[in-house]
Amino acid sequence: MAASNSHMWALLPDPSPADLVRAAAGDAGAFRLIVERYQGMVYSVAYNVLGDRTDAEDAAQEAFLRCYRKLPQYRSEATFSTWLFRLALTAAVDYKRREQRHPEPVEVPEFVDEASTELGDGVSAGAIMAALHELPEDYRVPTVLRDIYGLPYQEIAEATGRPLGTVKVMVHRGRASLRLRLSAGRDS
Amino acid sequence: MDCSYFRERLNRYVDAELGYLEVAELQQHLSFCPGCAVELAQLGEARTALARWGRLELAPPPGFAERVIATVGLEPAPGAPKPFGRAVEEAFDRLDEALGRVPLPGGRTIPVKNVIGWGLAAAALIAGLERRHGRRTRELKPL
Repeated sequence: MAASNSHMWALLPDPSPADLVRAAAGDAGAFRLIVERYQGMVYSVAYNVLGDRTDAEDAAQEAFLRCYRKLPQYRSEATFSTWLFRLALTAAVDYKRREQRHPEPVEVPEFVDEASTELGDGVSAGAIMAALHELPEDYRVPTVLRDIYGLPYQEIAEATGRPLGTVKVMVHRGRASLRLRLSAGRDS
Repeated sequence: MDCSYFRERLNRYVDAELGYLEVAELQQHLSFCPGCAVELAQLGEARTALARWGRLELAPPPGFAERVIATVGLEPAPGAPKPFGRAVEEAFDRLDEALGRVPLPGGRTIPVKNVIGWGLAAAALIAGLERRHGRRTRELKPL
């Protein structure tokens, strides 16, 4: 999957080739460094796709497991963070297709950087999270993949197993719903 | 043309999917229609907020890294020989990555491994039926 490269984790330095070799050889200490460095990114991706903390933890764990198993296949054509980001997205979407759970009540999780929870234009992180939570599931996942992670529609269709036209309609409806909820929140 | 014609195009406009003639037509409409202009601005604000939200990093639950390390600790080293089931699963994953997905009528797609799985299941069913049919034929054969 192609993805927007403007995220914070894209700025994190990649693990050194020596660290990756050690992790791929089964060195638990080297893999722990990878988990500790990228756990916030992987968990955030899973949470944004799934909208449930328990599911997000399971999917994030699955993403790291896939990372561990596939480490020998990693090639440096993509940065490590981008490669892991794609694994995390795929693990979360696969989890979504496999498990159907009722989303938990909205509760803003803690942020790594509490100072940056004001998103501009009078929109707070809590308002976005609440608006995303209120979206029907069918709209939320394609909208998250399109407007948070910048995936092309075709790739969203492939990832979710839905027709391209349906995915576009879902994203358009998801945006319309978010737009109305966020503007209503600003006006109140 | 009424506003519904243009409002239907706002999403394709922000996705850069409109042709230049459609863009010019829409921009001309926006220049004198405050309602559509406000809708476009709100759409842009919502998308900006989503993009910024996506850059926030959520803190995983306490002990998450330890649980991941404990789970990974139960795994064989990535390069070590794998159990047969895992090796088959990974071979199918690689096949999926190489061949992509199979298009179905209606625009849906399914992974190649599902097609192979159904093919193998159908072949096994047919082979089983044929063997059963053959045995019954032999049983009924007059001496």
